[in-house]
Amino acid sequence: MAKPEHDDLSTLNAVVNRRDFLRVTGAVGVVAAAGGLEGILAAHRAPAYAQGTKLHMVRWVDFIPEADVELKRQMPEASKALGAEVTLETINANDLQPRITAAIQSGSGADIFMFQYNWAQLYANSVVDVSDVANEIAKAEGGFYDVYTPSAKVGARWLAVPHSIIGNAVAYRRSWLKEVGATEYPKTWDEARKVFSQLKKKGKPYGQTLGHTFGDAPTFAYPVLWNFGGAETDASGKKVVINSKGAVESVKFMQAFWKEACDEGGLAWDDTNNNRAFHAGEISASLNGASIYIVAKRQKDKIKDEKGEPMYQDIDHAGLLPAGPAGQFPLYLNHSHAVMKYSKNQKLAKDFLRWLHKKETFEKWFVVNEGYSVAATTVWEKHSMWDKIDKPLQVFRTAARKTRIFGHAGPSTAKATEAFSKYIIVDMYANAVSGKMSAEAAVKWAEGELKKIYG
Amino acid sequence: MIEQRWKKWVYFYIPLAVFIVGTLFPFYWMAITAFRPDEELYRSWRAVNNTPFWTLQPTLAHFQDLLAKTTFPRWLWNTFFIAVASTGISLFCGLLAGYALARLKFPMAGALGTGIFVTYLVPPTLLFIPLADIIRNFRLGNTPWALILTYPTFLVPFCTWLLMGYFKTIPRELEECARIDGATRFGAMLRIIFPIAVPGILSAGIFAFTLSWNEFIYALIFLSSPERKTVPVGVVSELIRGDIYFWGQLMAGALLGSVPVALVYSFFVEYYVTGLTGSVKG
Amino acid sequence: MANHVLEDAGSAAQLEVALPHPATSKPARFERFLENERFLAFILLAPAVILLSVFIAYPFVMGVWLSLSSTSVGIPGQFVGIRNFVKAWNDSIFQQTLRNTFVYTFWATLFKLTLGMWLALLLNRHFRGKRIVRASMLLPFIIPTVLSTFAWRWMFDPTFSVLNWVLYRGGFIMTKLPFLSDGAWALWCAIIVNTWRGMPFFAITLLAGLQTINPDLHEAASLDGAGAWHRFWHVTWPLLKPVTIVVVVFSIIQTFSDFQLIYVLTGGGPANSTHLLATYAYQLGVAAGLLGEGAAISLFMFPVLLVVVWIQLRYLRRLEGV
Repeated sequence: MAKPEHDDLSTLNAVVNRRDFLRVTGAVGVVAAAGGLEGILAAHRAPAYAQGTKLHMVRWVDFIPEADVELKRQMPEASKALGAEVTLETINANDLQPRITAAIQSGSGADIFMFQYNWAQLYANSVVDVSDVANEIAKAEGGFYDVYTPSAKVGARWLAVPHSIIGNAVAYRRSWLKEVGATEYPKTWDEARKVFSQLKKKGKPYGQTLGHTFGDAPTFAYPVLWNFGGAETDASGKKVVINSKGAVESVKFMQAFWKEACDEGGLAWDDTNNNRAFHAGEISASLNGASIYIVAKRQKDKIKDEKGEPMYQDIDHAGLLPAGPAGQFPLYLNHSHAVMKYSKNQKLAKDFLRWLHKKETFEKWFVVNEGYSVAATTVWEKHSMWDKIDKPLQVFRTAARKTRIFGHAGPSTAKATEAFSKYIIVDMYANAVSGKMSAEAAVKWAEGELKKIYG
Repeated sequence: MIEQRWKKWVYFYIPLAVFIVGTLFPFYWMAITAFRPDEELYRSWRAVNNTPFWTLQPTLAHFQDLLAKTTFPRWLWNTFFIAVASTGISLFCGLLAGYALARLKFPMAGALGTGIFVTYLVPPTLLFIPLADIIRNFRLGNTPWALILTYPTFLVPFCTWLLMGYFKTIPRELEECARIDGATRFGAMLRIIFPIAVPGILSAGIFAFTLSWNEFIYALIFLSSPERKTVPVGVVSELIRGDIYFWGQLMAGALLGSVPVALVYSFFVEYYVTGLTGSVKG
Repeated sequence: MANHVLEDAGSAAQLEVALPHPATSKPARFERFLENERFLAFILLAPAVILLSVFIAYPFVMGVWLSLSSTSVGIPGQFVGIRNFVKAWNDSIFQQTLRNTFVYTFWATLFKLTLGMWLALLLNRHFRGKRIVRASMLLPFIIPTVLSTFAWRWMFDPTFSVLNWVLYRGGFIMTKLPFLSDGAWALWCAIIVNTWRGMPFFAITLLAGLQTINPDLHEAASLDGAGAWHRFWHVTWPLLKPVTIVVVVFSIIQTFSDFQLIYVLTGGGPANSTHLLATYAYQLGVAAGLLGEGAAISLFMFPVLLVVVWIQLRYLRRLEGV
């Protein structure tokens, strides 16, 4: 799997000459880091571990192949620095959970797993307290984004070390929106409805999945609910409050929006469909990570618009879904690393995570990502990479600030995960827009299901 | 005469053609995707030059990428080795057990047969969790043996029962004749019954081999080194990156992963179909 | 792989044949043991029984325990009786899942059987290119399910479906058909994919069965003036019955507990209309970490399958009795 020559993406490097880029950012970075992580690392000089000690980390297959290449390149360095052999295994994101479950139940497996969303809560009993590592990083880098508190913290203890956040933004075709008089992305849902109704009439609908996928469907459905003032539970996390005026309004709105403005095939889409539909010019906008833009740019001689020009030049991003009456709150995919309780190398694992978050190490990985993954701490917003990258990617710079996690307004407990993995919020909308239920009935259905979970 | 030819078309050629097209179209679709250059993938549904059924610029790029950037040949070999070994074990167990259950009289025969069958009913979706425990205790994690020994749990019951079915269709007289001629019970089983059951053995073998070849969840859980992975797991974890599929390479992987098996099968299928016609019944 | 086993068995046979026959020497005593039906049965059954009890007995007991406990991932549970089962039974998603599973299994098995039988009868005749056709019919069965299902999903793609393209170009439809985006359609699509995948095995197994039928029987029936249908029903079918029943039962079990296909094709969506027991159990057990509830849902399959097996066993015994 380690194949340093993952070349089909080297075009990306050609776009921004990476070496120059690293030199500049590196210089700035070291200055900023003085006293920060450097200090931490100095305090924990790589202890020599017993000969033959091995550390195994499992992460998802990164959408940005260079990011995995970079991480894999770092492993021998880490091994050298720590005096133990560190191996990285990457698997499909969907397959992380079965691996983690089997590892926990049998008490053997990788020492470090990548966690998504609030898995630290779900696997709280099986992971080690990593507060020491997390606090050091937070202190050195200006603190983590707020979303990590409900995601990875139980009481005062950090159960996973926050690593990065994948911003989900709306990718849209600038010229198409202009055709119907929108010079920028609509700010509110009402405006969006007007714009995309017109576009759908021209055969250029809005593309959105409401299928059973871990990425694009929930990151759409939850924010819609929140933006209209709906929530799963109250702040105590015990009382189900989904059957509210806001939630019903949001479902009613979606029913209309779906019919007037969306590609109705979206009920069957998974996370990949909208990428392809967008690149083929079938849809005018879609909520997605930066992948639509990045791929269009990498394959610019293959992905063209109707005029035959490279499509990426016509793509722009809106960082957040339009605002509803209650505001504008995104749900982004956040990542962290957890050290497993059964691991025999817990100290080594923690040292490795410290090493991974060392300014120079992390920076190399961060820069390669070009905004697709942003860091977990606020200090990286100031990194000079943001000034170098393409304008459409710059929306991700501060995107993570307002992000929420499911379970809102209560704490994001294992029950919230249950509701999430049963796709109750997604299906509330899917049931309504498919015409299977009225808006009220769909909300009532969701209320019933949530009550069974929280009850 | 004309009427007969007409009948043959209606009752034979046309249905057969429909079957062939229906069965092979998805396969053709995979093949055309594997040879299709990427820019055609991103062509609009309504585009005038949209040619879903063929491609004007076939390319081998996806196959090259697959072979150069992943350890595909290695996965292929792993899968093959694991499938052959677990099929071998399962057929061995199934053959002996099937014969015993079909032919021999002993106490608890019925109960034991049912017992073997019932293990097949155990839903595998969550079985992998306790099974991971066993794998750990035997220290088999991340070795091919983890799969070679666990696949038979769903292969043995099937092989046993399918072979039992075939043994029952073989007339007892054949065996009795051999015994009168001085053969031992064991010898008669080996030299009279098993050869006759070859079609059954082959179809059980094909089934077992294919199930091992396709298995996903155990292979995902029990193997962790990239170079030890099997085709389905390797392909899925390398060629699906976040929300992007490497379609061409995925389909190239599917093709390269199935054509060799198809060739081997074509040999077996022909062997058992031609070699034994009419030799048993009657 | 079959050859491999046969070779093993073959060498054992030679060994045995080489033994001197007079009943005095030591090996002969062993041989006499083998003449004892009980002892032979014991020897023959041992490998299968040992393998299954090592690798399945514990997981199975564990699975049953999980279903009766409140275990969630990493948290050892307590015994809660049948509460998980009751909870599932009252769960609207579970009810839908159970319905889906029955519909899916019934139609997919029916299609596989009828089409598989038909195909076997066709392939049993002599025609040019027989060899290549027979082999190629197995292709759907060989391609790893995960990958072939990806191809199908693409063919059913809401935006790019090639089937829609054909119908549209042919002037049969004006708007795209909602293959996977409408709940009812999606379930039928899953049934079609399952049939496509499973039918070849039916065909090839039944073809093997057909080969054991003496053509003379057919000839005799033909001479008696029996029509094709009549011949099938009165000559072929009765002889094929035992094998058919085994194949059908195994197919029911496989289809009823199907996982990969749905997981890849729809993930249970849209709005749970294609969830099967296995995918839902997986979602609860693995994604939500509720191992107890997940195990309970997968064990709902068990009684249903037991009934199927019981019917089959009875039927097989009756056939033998005749």
